[in-house]
Amino acid sequence: MKSMAIVVRDDAYDKILTPLAFAYLAAAEGTKVDMLFVNWAVKALTKEGAESLKVDGRHAEQDAWVRERVAKAGLPPDVYDIIKALKDTGNVNFYACSLAGAIFGVDDKNLVPEAEGIVGASWFLNEKAAKAEHYQYF
Amino acid sequence: MAEIKATTTLDTSGKCCPMPMVETTKAIKALAPGDILEIVATDVGTRRDIPSWCERSGHTLLSMTEQDKVLRYFVRKA
Repeated sequence: MKSMAIVVRDDAYDKILTPLAFAYLAAAEGTKVDMLFVNWAVKALTKEGAESLKVDGRHAEQDAWVRERVAKAGLPPDVYDIIKALKDTGNVNFYACSLAGAIFGVDDKNLVPEAEGIVGASWFLNEKAAKAEHYQYF
Repeated sequence: MAEIKATTTLDTSGKCCPMPMVETTKAIKALAPGDILEIVATDVGTRRDIPSWCERSGHTLLSMTEQDKVLRYFVRKA
Protein backbone atom coordinates (compact mmCIF):
# COMPACT_ATOMS: atom_id res chain seq x y z
CA MET A 1 0.00 0.00 0.00
CA LYS A 2 1.50 3.31 -1.06
CA SER A 3 -0.89 5.80 0.47
CA MET A 4 -3.66 6.03 3.01
CA ALA A 5 -5.98 8.87 4.02
CA ILE A 6 -7.73 8.93 7.38
CA VAL A 7 -10.41 11.28 8.67
CA VAL A 8 -10.63 11.39 12.45
CA ARG A 9 -13.80 12.74 14.05
CA ASP A 10 -14.04 11.06 17.42
CA ASP A 11 -11.94 12.64 20.13
CA ALA A 12 -12.46 10.19 22.98
CA TYR A 13 -9.05 9.01 24.20
CA ASP A 14 -9.80 5.34 23.64
CA LYS A 15 -11.41 5.89 20.25
CA ILE A 16 -8.63 8.03 18.83
CA LEU A 17 -6.11 5.28 19.55
CA THR A 18 -7.31 3.12 16.66
CA PRO A 19 -6.71 5.57 13.80
CA LEU A 20 -3.37 6.52 15.36
CA ALA A 21 -2.35 2.85 15.68
CA PHE A 22 -3.41 2.09 12.09
CA ALA A 23 -1.46 5.11 10.86
CA TYR A 24 1.57 3.99 12.86
CA LEU A 25 1.43 0.49 11.37
CA ALA A 26 1.08 1.76 7.82
CA ALA A 27 3.74 4.45 8.21
CA ALA A 28 6.19 1.96 9.69
CA GLU A 29 5.95 -0.03 6.48
CA GLY A 30 6.56 3.04 4.35
CA THR A 31 2.98 3.99 3.49
CA LYS A 32 2.36 7.72 3.17
CA VAL A 33 -0.47 8.59 5.55
CA ASP A 34 -2.50 11.80 5.50
CA MET A 35 -4.79 12.43 8.46
CA LEU A 36 -7.50 15.08 8.65
CA PHE A 37 -8.86 15.90 12.11
CA VAL A 38 -12.43 17.16 12.04
CA ASN A 39 -15.07 18.12 14.60
CA TRP A 40 -13.92 17.83 18.24
CA ALA A 41 -10.96 15.68 17.21
CA VAL A 42 -9.27 18.78 15.79
CA LYS A 43 -8.37 19.68 19.38
CA ALA A 44 -6.09 16.63 19.49
CA LEU A 45 -3.78 18.66 17.26
CA THR A 46 -3.17 21.14 20.06
CA LYS A 47 -0.95 20.28 23.00
CA GLU A 48 -3.59 21.23 25.52
CA GLY A 49 -6.31 19.40 23.61
CA ALA A 50 -4.25 16.23 23.27
CA GLU A 51 -3.56 16.23 27.00
CA SER A 52 -7.24 16.72 27.83
CA LEU A 53 -8.55 13.73 25.88
CA LYS A 54 -10.45 11.31 28.07
CA VAL A 55 -12.17 8.01 27.78
CA ASP A 56 -15.84 8.98 27.62
CA GLY A 57 -19.30 7.48 27.62
CA ARG A 58 -19.98 4.29 29.49
CA HIS A 59 -16.25 3.53 29.83
CA ALA A 60 -15.34 6.92 31.31
CA GLU A 61 -14.53 5.48 34.72
CA GLN A 62 -11.88 3.25 33.20
CA ASP A 63 -9.69 6.09 31.89
CA ALA A 64 -6.71 5.37 34.15
CA TRP A 65 -6.95 1.64 33.51
CA VAL A 66 -6.97 2.18 29.72
CA ARG A 67 -3.88 4.43 29.91
CA GLU A 68 -2.09 1.83 31.97
CA ARG A 69 -2.91 -0.86 29.39
CA VAL A 70 -1.81 1.39 26.54
CA ALA A 71 1.56 1.90 28.21
CA LYS A 72 1.85 -1.84 28.80
CA ALA A 73 1.17 -2.44 25.11
CA GLY A 74 4.21 -0.31 24.33
CA LEU A 75 2.53 2.83 23.05
CA PRO A 76 3.12 6.16 24.77
CA PRO A 77 -0.03 6.74 26.85
CA ASP A 78 -0.03 10.44 26.00
CA VAL A 79 -1.70 11.21 22.65
CA TYR A 80 0.73 14.03 21.85
CA ASP A 81 3.63 11.60 22.30
CA ILE A 82 1.93 9.21 19.87
CA ILE A 83 1.55 12.07 17.37
CA LYS A 84 5.26 12.83 17.74
CA ALA A 85 6.15 9.15 17.25
CA LEU A 86 4.06 9.03 14.09
CA LYS A 87 5.70 12.20 12.80
CA ASP A 88 9.13 10.67 13.45
CA THR A 89 8.38 7.94 10.91
CA GLY A 90 8.55 10.65 8.25
CA ASN A 91 5.45 9.23 6.60
CA VAL A 92 2.54 10.89 8.40
CA ASN A 93 1.01 14.28 7.70
CA PHE A 94 -1.48 15.79 10.14
CA TYR A 95 -4.05 18.34 8.97
CA ALA A 96 -6.63 20.31 10.93
CA CYS A 97 -9.98 20.92 9.25
CA SER A 98 -10.56 24.67 8.87
CA LEU A 99 -14.23 24.48 9.80
CA ALA A 100 -13.46 22.41 12.89
CA GLY A 101 -10.65 24.79 13.78
CA ALA A 102 -13.01 27.78 13.54
CA ILE A 103 -15.69 26.10 15.65
CA PHE A 104 -13.54 24.41 18.27
CA GLY A 105 -10.84 27.04 18.66
CA VAL A 106 -7.80 25.67 16.84
CA ASP A 107 -5.64 28.04 14.83
CA ASP A 108 -2.04 28.41 13.68
CA LYS A 109 -1.08 29.66 17.14
CA ASN A 110 -2.08 26.59 19.13
CA LEU A 111 -1.60 23.92 16.46
CA VAL A 112 1.20 21.51 17.36
CA PRO A 113 4.34 21.90 15.22
CA GLU A 114 3.93 18.31 14.00
CA ALA A 115 0.80 19.36 12.06
CA GLU A 116 1.11 20.51 8.47
CA GLY A 117 -1.53 23.20 8.95
CA ILE A 118 -5.18 24.10 8.73
CA VAL A 119 -6.80 23.04 5.48
CA GLY A 120 -10.17 23.05 3.80
CA ALA A 121 -12.01 19.75 3.67
CA SER A 122 -12.45 20.10 -0.09
CA TRP A 123 -8.70 20.14 -0.60
CA PHE A 124 -8.19 17.14 1.65
CA LEU A 125 -11.00 15.10 0.12
CA ASN A 126 -9.91 15.80 -3.45
CA GLU A 127 -6.14 15.93 -3.14
CA LYS A 128 -5.56 13.35 -0.41
CA ALA A 129 -8.58 11.10 0.21
CA ALA A 130 -9.63 10.65 -3.43
CA LYS A 131 -6.04 9.98 -4.51
CA ALA A 132 -5.14 7.64 -1.67
CA GLU A 133 -5.04 3.92 -2.21
CA HIS A 134 -6.98 3.40 0.96
CA TYR A 135 -9.34 5.68 2.87
CA GLN A 136 -10.62 5.33 6.41
CA TYR A 137 -13.03 7.31 8.55
CA PHE A 138 -13.09 7.17 12.34
CA MET B 1 16.01 -29.19 11.72
CA ALA B 2 19.26 -27.24 11.88
CA GLU B 3 19.28 -24.34 14.30
CA ILE B 4 18.81 -20.94 12.70
CA LYS B 5 21.36 -18.39 13.77
CA ALA B 6 19.94 -14.90 14.04
CA THR B 7 21.96 -11.82 13.22
CA THR B 8 19.98 -9.94 15.82
CA THR B 9 17.04 -10.54 18.13
CA LEU B 10 14.10 -8.25 18.77
CA ASP B 11 12.11 -9.00 21.89
CA THR B 12 8.61 -7.50 21.82
CA SER B 13 7.31 -9.59 24.70
CA GLY B 14 4.42 -7.92 26.50
CA LYS B 15 3.81 -5.38 23.76
CA CYS B 16 0.72 -5.32 21.60
CA CYS B 17 -0.31 -4.03 18.21
CA PRO B 18 0.96 -1.79 16.69
CA MET B 19 4.30 -1.94 18.51
CA PRO B 20 5.58 -5.42 17.52
CA MET B 21 5.15 -4.58 13.83
CA VAL B 22 6.44 -1.02 14.21
CA GLU B 23 9.55 -2.30 15.99
CA THR B 24 9.98 -5.20 13.56
CA THR B 25 9.93 -2.98 10.47
CA LYS B 26 12.39 -0.65 12.19
CA ALA B 27 14.70 -3.48 13.20
CA ILE B 28 14.82 -5.02 9.73
CA LYS B 29 15.81 -1.68 8.22
CA ALA B 30 18.99 -1.75 10.28
CA LEU B 31 20.03 -5.12 8.83
CA ALA B 32 21.77 -6.00 5.59
CA PRO B 33 20.16 -8.20 2.91
CA GLY B 34 20.53 -11.84 3.90
CA ASP B 35 20.73 -11.07 7.60
CA ILE B 36 18.34 -12.90 9.88
CA LEU B 37 16.08 -11.18 12.38
CA GLU B 38 14.69 -13.18 15.25
CA ILE B 39 11.46 -11.73 16.64
CA VAL B 40 10.09 -12.80 19.99
CA ALA B 41 6.47 -11.85 20.60
CA THR B 42 3.57 -12.54 22.89
CA ASP B 43 0.96 -10.64 20.86
CA VAL B 44 -1.08 -13.33 19.11
CA GLY B 45 -1.87 -10.81 16.36
CA THR B 46 1.66 -11.34 15.08
CA ARG B 47 0.70 -14.90 14.03
CA ARG B 48 -0.84 -13.37 10.92
CA ASP B 49 0.84 -9.95 10.88
CA ILE B 50 4.39 -11.20 10.48
CA PRO B 51 3.80 -13.83 7.76
CA SER B 52 1.71 -11.39 5.70
CA TRP B 53 4.29 -8.63 6.18
CA CYS B 54 7.01 -11.02 4.94
CA GLU B 55 4.94 -11.82 1.88
CA ARG B 56 4.35 -8.14 1.10
CA SER B 57 7.87 -6.99 1.72
CA GLY B 58 9.73 -9.88 0.11
CA HIS B 59 11.45 -11.03 3.30
CA THR B 60 11.55 -14.77 3.95
CA LEU B 61 9.89 -16.26 6.99
CA LEU B 62 12.27 -19.08 7.83
CA SER B 63 10.53 -20.31 10.92
CA MET B 64 7.61 -19.61 13.19
CA THR B 65 7.21 -21.46 16.47
CA GLU B 66 5.05 -21.08 19.54
CA GLN B 67 5.80 -22.41 22.95
CA ASP B 68 4.22 -21.45 26.27
CA LYS B 69 2.47 -18.48 24.65
CA VAL B 70 5.77 -17.14 23.29
CA LEU B 71 5.99 -16.77 19.53
CA ARG B 72 9.35 -16.87 17.82
CA TYR B 73 9.95 -15.86 14.22
CA PHE B 74 13.09 -15.99 12.12
CA VAL B 75 13.01 -13.68 9.11
CA ARG B 76 15.67 -13.38 6.42
CA LYS B 77 15.92 -9.88 5.03
CA ALA B 78 15.38 -9.59 1.26
